[in-house]
Amino acid sequence: MNCRSEALEVSVEGRQVDEAMLALLHTILLHRSTGKFHYKKEGTYSIGTVGTQDIDCDFIDFSFVRVSSDELDRAIRKAVGEFKDAMGNGTDGMGQISLEFYQKKKSRWPFSDECIPWEVWSIKVNVVNLANEQERQICREKVGEKLGEKVINIVEVINRHEYLPKMPTQSEVDNVFDTSLKDVQPYLYKINFQITDTLGTSVSTTMRRLIKDTLAL
Amino acid sequence: MAAHFDTEYQRLEASYSDSPPGEENLLVHVPDGNKLPWHHIENLDLFFQRVYNLHQKNGFTCMLLGEVFELVQLLFVVGFTVFLANCVDYDILFANKFVNHTDSSKVTLPDAFLPVDVCSASIRDNVAVMFVLMISGVFWLHRLIKFIYNVCCYWEIRSFYTNALKMSMAELPYFTWQEVQARIVEIQKEHQICIHKKELTELDIYHRILRFKNYMVAMVNKSLLPVHFRPPLLGESVFYTRGLKYNFELIFFWGPGSLFESEWSLKPQYKRGGNRLELADKLASRILWIGIANLLLCPVVLVWQILYAFFSYTEVIKREPGSLGARCWSLYGRCYLRHFNELDHELMSRLSKGYKASSRYMNCFLSPLLTVVAKNVAFFAGSLLAVLIALTIYDEDVLAVEHVLSSITLLGVCITVCRSFIPDKHLVYCPEQLLRVILAHIHYMPDHWQGNAHRYETRDQFSQLFQYKAVFILEELISPLVTPFILIFSLRRKSLEIIDFFRNFTVEVVGVGDTCSFAQMDIRQHGHPAWMSEGKTEASIYQQAEDGKTELSLMHFAITNPQWQPPTETTHFISQLKERVQREATGDRHTLTSLSGSEPRSLIANFLAGPPSLASLHLGQNGSLTNHGPVGVSDGASALRSLSVSSMRGSCSSAHRSAGHASSASRAMPGSSTDARTASSGSSVWEGQLTSLVLSEYASTEMSIHALYIHELHKQQSGGELSRHTWHRQDSDDSSDSVTEEGGSGGGNPNPRNPIPRSHTFPITTPISSPGPIPSSNSGPNPDRGTTPGQEVAPLQSNSQRRYGGNTDSVGPGGRVVRSARVPMGGWTEEGRGGQHPETVPEEGSEDDMPPNIHKVT
Repeated sequence: MNCRSEALEVSVEGRQVDEAMLALLHTILLHRSTGKFHYKKEGTYSIGTVGTQDIDCDFIDFSFVRVSSDELDRAIRKAVGEFKDAMGNGTDGMGQISLEFYQKKKSRWPFSDECIPWEVWSIKVNVVNLANEQERQICREKVGEKLGEKVINIVEVINRHEYLPKMPTQSEVDNVFDTSLKDVQPYLYKINFQITDTLGTSVSTTMRRLIKDTLAL
Repeated sequence: MAAHFDTEYQRLEASYSDSPPGEENLLVHVPDGNKLPWHHIENLDLFFQRVYNLHQKNGFTCMLLGEVFELVQLLFVVGFTVFLANCVDYDILFANKFVNHTDSSKVTLPDAFLPVDVCSASIRDNVAVMFVLMISGVFWLHRLIKFIYNVCCYWEIRSFYTNALKMSMAELPYFTWQEVQARIVEIQKEHQICIHKKELTELDIYHRILRFKNYMVAMVNKSLLPVHFRPPLLGESVFYTRGLKYNFELIFFWGPGSLFESEWSLKPQYKRGGNRLELADKLASRILWIGIANLLLCPVVLVWQILYAFFSYTEVIKREPGSLGARCWSLYGRCYLRHFNELDHELMSRLSKGYKASSRYMNCFLSPLLTVVAKNVAFFAGSLLAVLIALTIYDEDVLAVEHVLSSITLLGVCITVCRSFIPDKHLVYCPEQLLRVILAHIHYMPDHWQGNAHRYETRDQFSQLFQYKAVFILEELISPLVTPFILIFSLRRKSLEIIDFFRNFTVEVVGVGDTCSFAQMDIRQHGHPAWMSEGKTEASIYQQAEDGKTELSLMHFAITNPQWQPPTETTHFISQLKERVQREATGDRHTLTSLSGSEPRSLIANFLAGPPSLASLHLGQNGSLTNHGPVGVSDGASALRSLSVSSMRGSCSSAHRSAGHASSASRAMPGSSTDARTASSGSSVWEGQLTSLVLSEYASTEMSIHALYIHELHKQQSGGELSRHTWHRQDSDDSSDSVTEEGGSGGGNPNPRNPIPRSHTFPITTPISSPGPIPSSNSGPNPDRGTTPGQEVAPLQSNSQRRYGGNTDSVGPGGRVVRSARVPMGGWTEEGRGGQHPETVPEEGSEDDMPPNIHKVT
């Protein structure tokens, strides 16, 4: 696929899952959001401001910065919540949550619009079980440290001078940015997750490929 | 708690105040999104393939028209057959029955047609006809949908050509592919078609277009595909038809459940050695099912093949009956002779150049017995025919006599067939030299042919590459019957080998995806010591490409794409080889004589015949046309020049060589001034008109010389001893003995002296190869794998590729990079054991625990 992919992996305790996920997803989105665009007549635009805000975690010795947009936060929290529910509570488990940035490409009539991803972050989560309180304390610090490293990794990756969609004109802004939020404008993104058992291509993608292949013979 | 942790983020204190949105002092940006929509294309494989196809089919209109006619042709074939079978009253046509016309006695064609209602009734009653009609209806609809889909896709490609590449469809046929490619490389810098890299290389484009073909070439090269058979009567033979090829591709590449999950990536489970046996079982059962499906569909396909062959070839046969006696390159030959990274048109032009010599070679072997018989048959048939024709000329009523016309036709065909068995009177019997000329074009040839060109065995083996057209058609016809059995009985047994092949020979290249590692043309990994890469290669026998394929492919690619900048080692190899070729050809011309055997002139003349005045044409242009390779091209140029000129005028090769350089370096030796002048005057006429087409013709000549040289050197090196790779490596090969050689692990193996057994009979039990305990269930160093790939991959390969399979590197407990030796699991010897699986693979457990290679090299 013509798409960058970055992989992260963390091992956390069951109750830390959502905070860890939120920390990482928000960190990525912080760097992949801009202020709202205000287009002028001559085809130029100005960019609004983006507020940031520090969030302290309850179960991890860690705090992270996120875009101070409640709507965005709500959307992410919803996705993470679903992910956590799907993981099931308590016992050991593995799962993967992926944040995919894409752009839309308008197609001619018979085809629907294509969503072409350009960057995929997949975060693998191992859930571990801890026996006693002391281990929990250690884990709390350790996970905090790990998350700090991940954040630095993310920033390193983002700082590389690599492909980003070109800044769109007014008519195309929906193809690149998610303009549904009031106060901030992230690149179009999707959050998917997989639980270990179901890792592998789903039936629908297989079918779609089959049809495409027969057509492309 | 956050205070413990040190981040670079800090809260901004009260000094921060949001600036009021005053319209005048805002920073104003200009969007750049209004440009062409060619950045970031989703499926580059398909995209490049389409770009290439459109170029090969000479533009959109030609392609469209061609496809429309194909559709119409299909309709016609089916409709006409049904019509002939059901709606014609043959009794009237053969005048067995009289038509009761009142006015005239003439029988017209419409009289022979049955009325519509009778006709349609007879069709409806006939189950078989209805069956055929239904099948072809479904098939045609499928083609129609595909056609519409294709038109939509290629319309985009068309606008890519016109808008991005700035080539109009009208002038497209007059651009070479190299020019198109250069523009694509240019476009990438501006539009970023591929988002992984700033710049595309030629090799990237080739890799994407030829991804699966390279795999097929490699599989044929390593004799993995079951195409060699020994049927009881026919002796050793090759059976490889389009149907079989289609099935292979279906199984490996794109069918449901194939090894690839998308065009560009192998499924991750196939990259791990852990459950290879399980995967092999799975593959075997898939092959079985596809074989059974083939068996069930066999009648349909058979009917189709017969119809198709009948309608496409009858016309040709009627027009020139000799064409059945003509030959063509077999499908197997095309696979065997193809270089890695060689596009269709390059291969075809190469093979076409070799066609004449090849058919002359095959004609040397006409059976004397047949010749005698044919001469006499032709004599008798000829006299009969002459009499009949003479009588007809005298009075054309002779034609009205029953069967006179048909016997004239038959006799004519008979004579033409006979004539093809009678050798040309002026033919010179010189197979050895012919074979050499052939080699100059086809570039590959098993070792034992050299010196045995006059033998019948050689001829038989060559005929497997270069078969009769009639045989080709026949094979296509019986293919639907044979294919299921090949799949079920031969291919299925090889499933473990196939799994091993794909694991061991797949690398992930940034910006390209998973490709066949042979196609990287890396001498170090796949070179063959007997083919010039002695000392440079670190490949085990299993990893070496046979017949010098890696080396020759590399030369071919470097010569056809002079702009390509290979990795340093490779550059070194190429320049060294070119230097040697040049030195030997120009200097003491020692190799020249040995190259061309007894008649050097005819050989050289033969492959210089194509581009006649190239030697002078090329002068003065090499610097401007090729950025990278003035060395390479001008070297070859001077070599060629000296070859051609010296064979004409004797010896002043050094003078000519300096003449070659004089144009660029303006440094002429005293004795060579005249030559330099003539040469440059010759070039000045053509200056500016030298297209890349000429350059490509030139390149093919240069490649011929290199191929001959490499083969010659190989022959000298092997020195008459039996090469280990015989033609069509048989199932139980000598490679099965356990060869122990030095551990050929990738650069930087900490322990290179450890001898590693290189065969399957001695599986991987070296102490260093076990990757150590890998903590995967807790937060050990494992999570790091994902995010810091650079630290472990970077030392592995300079051109940032990753190898799956045997080469499992991992971060050990101490953070040290532990790299297991690159010993591929599995190999050739599997089938010697009749398909039974080896009991244990030591690495299985540990490899299984390893996380899949999900991370990419970024």
